[in-house]
Amino acid sequence: MEWNGLQHFFLVILCFFVALLPRFIPLSFFRKRKIPGWFNEWMEFVPICLFTSLVVKDLFITKTYSFSVTGMLPELIASVVVILIAFWTRSMALSVIIGLGLVFALTFLI
Amino acid sequence: MINKAAHSETAVRQQNFKTSFPLDISYIPIGVACGILLHAAGFNLFNIVLVSLLVFSGGAQFLIASMLTINSPLVTVVLMLFFLELRYALLGSSLSKYLHGQSTWFTFLFACSMNDENYAVNYLKFSTDKQFTPSDALQIEHWSLLFWTLSNFVGGVLGSAITIDLTVVHFALTALFLFMIVMQVKSLLKVLVAGLAAGLAIFFLVVTKSTLGLVFATLIASFIGFVIDNYLTKQRKKTQRKSPLLRMFKNPAGTPRE
Repeated sequence: MEWNGLQHFFLVILCFFVALLPRFIPLSFFRKRKIPGWFNEWMEFVPICLFTSLVVKDLFITKTYSFSVTGMLPELIASVVVILIAFWTRSMALSVIIGLGLVFALTFLI
Repeated sequence: MINKAAHSETAVRQQNFKTSFPLDISYIPIGVACGILLHAAGFNLFNIVLVSLLVFSGGAQFLIASMLTINSPLVTVVLMLFFLELRYALLGSSLSKYLHGQSTWFTFLFACSMNDENYAVNYLKFSTDKQFTPSDALQIEHWSLLFWTLSNFVGGVLGSAITIDLTVVHFALTALFLFMIVMQVKSLLKVLVAGLAAGLAIFFLVVTKSTLGLVFATLIASFIGFVIDNYLTKQRKKTQRKSPLLRMFKNPAGTPRE
């Protein structure tokens, strides 16, 4: 089936609502209520777990959702360098730019 | 007086732009790539801009593009997108304490343009900078939204003239998350929890065959981290000794630069 512009438009509108709900509901729920202390303490561990999961997915999970250690070798090597750069320089821009450059170079080499 | 206020407002604006700039830059290659893919999936320029403004999520837009190229039905695309975006519920929950007492309209605007990357920047700012306000965070979201939409537009214009190695471009975001992890790791406990999250992520991603695995891994690992943290803090009160797991790391670069 070939989609036309109008169908794409409606798809986008539907996607907007589907994407908005999970973003809006928790924010709005806790906006006026007092947030329990234990919940805040729990949520403090969310960013690091989420970011680690995302990175693990990028580095070790293939497009078909199977596990692979060496599937993304250039990215893996660059990641180690990015961690070191981030640790010592604390600069987001440097980490991203050097990491990206390294992956470009390594993809050519390997 | 008014002049002074206006001046400081401009200064704040500039500061927010500076804060969001590294993120904005890393959006350019991936946004252009996303625009090219959406064009290849049959989207016209208007819809490319619209989806960038309304959905504003790299992962979601790549998913839409790839599902349309394999002719998936509408219901499947929307459903997949819902599961992909479910993790934003976690982002919203963990930021909610900083947005306490804001108006419905503000919360709506904030929710509309919140995504993984600007959440990461905003969370870091909220937790390290006491001067940082919700409206600053919204400005940072809007800067990243602007750069994202423009890059998608450029990608749509370039269209099929260029092919891009997507995995390489995608690493910009991986590097961004790695940076955020390093910023978050402040004690040995956090390192252990991150390791646990990594293991769980692999397990759940392979088992669920979808990004829903990210949600499970994050929920469980963060909860275990919270329970251990709570236990150690209680022990500390009893024994008056701080557990080595909770001791803060020394920062090799001195105080964090913004």
